[in-house]
Amino acid sequence: MLDILLPILIFAALGLAAIGVVRRVRLWRQGRPSPVPLVKGLASVPRRYLVDLHHVVARDKVMSNTHVATAGGFVAAAVLMVLVHGLGLAEGVLGWGLLAASATMFVGSCFVARRRRNPPSRLSKGPWMRLPKSLMAFSLSVFAITLPAVGLLPDNFFEGSVSWVLALALSAVLVWGLGEMVFGMAWGGPMKHAFAGALHLAFHRRAERFSTRGGEGKRSTGLKALNLDDQDATLGVEKPSDFTWNQLLGFDACVQCGRCEAMCPAFAAGQPLNPKKLIQDMVVGMAGGSDANYAGSPYPGQPVGEHQGSPQGPIVAREGKALVDAETLWSCTTCRACVEECPMMIEHVDAIVDMRRFLTLEHGNTPNKGAEVLDNLIATDNPGGFAPDARMHWAADLELPLMADRGEAEVLLWLGDGAYDMRNQRTLRSLVKVLRAADVDFAVLGNEERDSGDVARRLGDEATFQSLAKRNIATLSKYRFQRIVTCDPHSFHVLGNEYGELGGPGMPAQYEVSHHSTYIAELFDAGRLHVKPWKGGGVTFHDPCYLGRYNGEYEAPRSVLKALGIELKEMERSGFRSRCCGGGGGAPITDIPGERRIPDMRMGDVGETGAELVAVGCPQCTAMLEGVVDATAEVRDIAELVASALTEAPEAFAGAAQQSSNRPQAVEVA
Amino acid sequence: MRPEARVDASLEITVLVSVGRHPVTGRARRADQDARAVELARGVADASVRLLHAGGKEADSEPALRGYLGMGFDALTLVEQPEGADALPALADALNEAPPQLVITGERAEQGEGSGLLPYLLAERLGWPVVSGLAAVESVENGVATLLQALPRGQRRRLKVRLPAIVTVDGAAPAPRQSAYGPARRGHLAAVPGSVTVDEAWASWETQPARKRPKRLKIVKAASARDRFKAAAAKAEGGGGQVLTDVTVEEGAEAILKLLKEEGVLR
Amino acid sequence: MSDIVRRDPRKAWIARNRLHPQHREVLAELGQSAGQGATSEWMGPAGIVRRNPHAVGFMGPNGIKRIDRSGVQQGAGGGAAAKSAAQSKPLVEIESPAFLVAVVPDMAGGRLSGHDRDLLGLARQLADADPNARGAVLAVVFGGYNREGGGELKEHGFGEAGVDRLLSLDDPRFDGFAPEARLGALLAVEEAWTPRHWLVPDSRLGGADLGRRLAARLGERPATGVWQLEPDATAELGWQCTARGAAATLDIQRPLPRITLALEECAEPVDDNRHAAEALSLPQELPSPISRIEDLGQVPVDPAGVALAEAEFILSAGNGIRDWDGYHTAAEVLGATEGASRVAVDDGFMPRDRQVGATGTWVTARVYVAVGISGAIQHLQGIQTCDKVVAINMDPGCDMIKRADLAVIGDSAEVLASLVTMVKQQREEKRDAA
Repeated sequence: MLDILLPILIFAALGLAAIGVVRRVRLWRQGRPSPVPLVKGLASVPRRYLVDLHHVVARDKVMSNTHVATAGGFVAAAVLMVLVHGLGLAEGVLGWGLLAASATMFVGSCFVARRRRNPPSRLSKGPWMRLPKSLMAFSLSVFAITLPAVGLLPDNFFEGSVSWVLALALSAVLVWGLGEMVFGMAWGGPMKHAFAGALHLAFHRRAERFSTRGGEGKRSTGLKALNLDDQDATLGVEKPSDFTWNQLLGFDACVQCGRCEAMCPAFAAGQPLNPKKLIQDMVVGMAGGSDANYAGSPYPGQPVGEHQGSPQGPIVAREGKALVDAETLWSCTTCRACVEECPMMIEHVDAIVDMRRFLTLEHGNTPNKGAEVLDNLIATDNPGGFAPDARMHWAADLELPLMADRGEAEVLLWLGDGAYDMRNQRTLRSLVKVLRAADVDFAVLGNEERDSGDVARRLGDEATFQSLAKRNIATLSKYRFQRIVTCDPHSFHVLGNEYGELGGPGMPAQYEVSHHSTYIAELFDAGRLHVKPWKGGGVTFHDPCYLGRYNGEYEAPRSVLKALGIELKEMERSGFRSRCCGGGGGAPITDIPGERRIPDMRMGDVGETGAELVAVGCPQCTAMLEGVVDATAEVRDIAELVASALTEAPEAFAGAAQQSSNRPQAVEVA
Repeated sequence: MRPEARVDASLEITVLVSVGRHPVTGRARRADQDARAVELARGVADASVRLLHAGGKEADSEPALRGYLGMGFDALTLVEQPEGADALPALADALNEAPPQLVITGERAEQGEGSGLLPYLLAERLGWPVVSGLAAVESVENGVATLLQALPRGQRRRLKVRLPAIVTVDGAAPAPRQSAYGPARRGHLAAVPGSVTVDEAWASWETQPARKRPKRLKIVKAASARDRFKAAAAKAEGGGGQVLTDVTVEEGAEAILKLLKEEGVLR
Repeated sequence: MSDIVRRDPRKAWIARNRLHPQHREVLAELGQSAGQGATSEWMGPAGIVRRNPHAVGFMGPNGIKRIDRSGVQQGAGGGAAAKSAAQSKPLVEIESPAFLVAVVPDMAGGRLSGHDRDLLGLARQLADADPNARGAVLAVVFGGYNREGGGELKEHGFGEAGVDRLLSLDDPRFDGFAPEARLGALLAVEEAWTPRHWLVPDSRLGGADLGRRLAARLGERPATGVWQLEPDATAELGWQCTARGAAATLDIQRPLPRITLALEECAEPVDDNRHAAEALSLPQELPSPISRIEDLGQVPVDPAGVALAEAEFILSAGNGIRDWDGYHTAAEVLGATEGASRVAVDDGFMPRDRQVGATGTWVTARVYVAVGISGAIQHLQGIQTCDKVVAINMDPGCDMIKRADLAVIGDSAEVLASLVTMVKQQREEKRDAA
């Protein structure tokens, strides 16, 4: 009897799933077109899954093994089940394979069940709580029905009258399992993530993030430019259907594991943002409905169930409530901690900036100081509204060589808007001192420099960003230099990763950009800097988001500090898990209130290490961390630390120094 | 996005807007006071708002004018004039053709003579009353507007004025909303030819960037040489301020009270 | 009080005996009775003047003793001397002026403001330029509130300010915001005397409005924002003026027109002479025009609601405040607008729109009282343009104290409470006196 029932069940489930798949695909297709390589993308899924995705998942060993067992077991079991029970090819190996697969899956699901017994708050509950049972139901029932097929039980085991009942019961359990695993996958159950996730990996909008056989994947963190020349193009994202179709697909891939939530600085500060909820809201919007069924942590301070949306409805209402409140979007510091943590490689920051673009460019609704800052950027090319010709006032006594006079230099020193800030001027002075001590051939743009456009872009004002960027590119194209060095990671990121798209014919905008820590580390390696040994107290290092997560530079600042003779007391959250200072993405400008302040929390992290000094490498971080009242540690930029430790080259090294200054690149100095 | 009151508008407001000039960089921008005027007009219930500008359509003035469109308008009427032409007759003609009930404008322009005369001359020509220094339009009923005029120190005075009228706003009016790029780009600059009267007087005057005005010296006209010397030598204040340490609470409070009284901020 | 000087021989003896334990007290007592702040000089019992050289002088603001030998300090009755000095200024009378310079002072609060005096100085320049044909300065003064209860003008100093002729119009219809009525009066002046020059202060809501109305009605193109005058024979009226244009970013050189709206400090106020300030009256009754603008009076404004950037007097709270109720009371009693440092805002004691500083609002207050604010660089940047800064703080070493014109080191709550008591007390005294 099972011989007849099983194929019907299996193919019925597959048929229903196919209908669900079509429905789901149609949901995604509501999004804007975005060309992807179809076959190549699909072909790359196994590698992307096994290498790149698992690289992220493997940060939690237990969960990673659990997932391998469960998912691997399920995929094998599902395929074999179709062959063995659907098509009746039960001979030999196949049956045994199916047994092994379902057993593996069962073991995995036991771990899933253990995980769900006392789930951490970041995990979503609701339907996800029944998943381990469904997994067990599927694996056990498949295991049981396969036993006769391989001969471990007599063929007619399920045929007696008692066995009939047993067979029916087993079928019922199998229906449950199939329902969750096959039908639910396509119709929006927790298992949706497997199906949507696989396709998301195939058609990811940042394909360059993934490794290929050729080598490691590249960091792809630059925002994508809006086409402003096209008068009819929508400016940013107003409604869910304004996302590209593969972005919508990406939202559907979310497993609600809440790793993003655990890392999000705004969430921890009690600001109304939770990256996981945001992605789920997008899923709600894509399908239409309310967020009442969401079973994870809400946006802090905002109860679930009050928001709703539809694919063609606005995400943020001008007045009242829609799918998401504007404060949620403006709480983000664009620190990318969520993206870095996401095992499904969802691009939260892209989505947030897309929605911000609409708010700024169409609504004209950048909160708090946002409008003022943008107006300043338009009128004075710097966010503070200072006179552009006062940019070099801080360096009146330094006689910095100007590009306009020199025409070329080995290093173009990009000062950034910190040139107007009295605190950051100390850093800049230190950096100049270091460069001079190492005899570096450098020059600055002086008053020709403009804001890099970072803040404008993160605040969603793509028009102002592109205007600033294009004028900066035109200025840069006038001069010859080997690379740009800057002590502002935001400028570093924008110049290095986001200007490229905006270069014109005859004006390529591909620059080699280094953060000053990278450059100083190179100077140390080349023996061009000599320092006194460090005599201060304990030091820790705060990784700036735009240096670390955005550009993968974790080593250089540490090697500089090591060269200074400093032994770092690392914070628990450092490196790629570094917690944001709260200064990125225009967050200090939009200033969404929370329960705590992000820099206070970060200073708390510093305090835990017992360090007396926290080394930083970013003007924003300096400003934010120095703004902490009753801080336990002082804040110093790496350049300041190096500059204060500089000494003359000792006699023994004089020869070496001589040698190093004879290196080809130093010849250009003369 | 669209002026909400387009349908069923009982009150017609025209806002005169000009091309401003950023005080630091001198770049063309939407003029601050005019933008406040637009904001004030947007705040009046049941009103349809029209933007009117007289002047050229030069390369740098267009983005500035679009700045007003970015506050949520579909169109701006541009009475085209060559540079150096007098805006008054052109604006008066435009207002005469389709007279609104209320004209709102900034106090004075950020470019050119910036004498702040235009609203008065316009009112004179149209025979309308004019009220300056507005902070808010409270209500408009039966052809009478209730207005709040800004006095120094954030004080307010309530006025009633019979419409049609011209009112001007200054820095006390609500801050203008952000100008959004999208509507600014889409908005339409409806150009109509305007009358041309060349302002010859203006052309004949010499202009130069504003010099810093000399700080007034304290000239002491004293009878005796000793007084004059004393006045010249006395520099009691300056340097650091006065620091009262180890004083009783009362003494400290008294010193503060004395300063507050001297400055006349206590009422 | 009788004029008989009564002496206490014992006290006189103590006053002479510097070693007497009560010496200082008695000195002070005697000094007070002599109506002086410091007792450096008194009449001994034998009729000989006694001097205490230690009591001479006063403590300067830097804590250094200053001795003023000009005699002012010795309390020779400063008021009387000033009065006599004013009396002693030569009186200038212009019987038959060649022309008239009409000035319309703002008379804020019923008195000549500094701006008005500057303008009268400018008027004198115009009137006195040609010693052979001197003009007279005519001041047109509006408003019944210019008079005190008895019907006398509040302002006595018209003559000293350089006014030859005074037209005081105090019909109630000129009160408050009455531009149309005032314009009517000015037109009557124009008709009656046709002044050669009209000078109006270019002050917000005062002359700036009225002067432009006058110009528009008379069809004259006025010069606005004038701050400098030079004689120029080629010009029609013989003068060339420099005026600010384009939002004070441009200087315009132009011949002086008939109507001039001048800025503050456009000229030195009159100081040397007294003028007659002879009262005039209009030859005919003013027609009463139909007013289309009606003044409903001033609206009470809560100082707490005044925008920070606009506020003139700010009481700003920082991290050092423990007693927030006391702080709010103080702000209310003093009539100050509330401000806050970033920390006070971050900690949720004050709303975000009250934050002062580079990251909050840049304020322009004339008096800025910082209570318990240590003075972060961003905060000090935000109060750059404040005139007087008062700091109340526990820490004498903080940056705010360095910036402050007056700093009181002490417990802010107590100082504020004491200040509140004093202000209340004084108000009551005033009320009782009135």
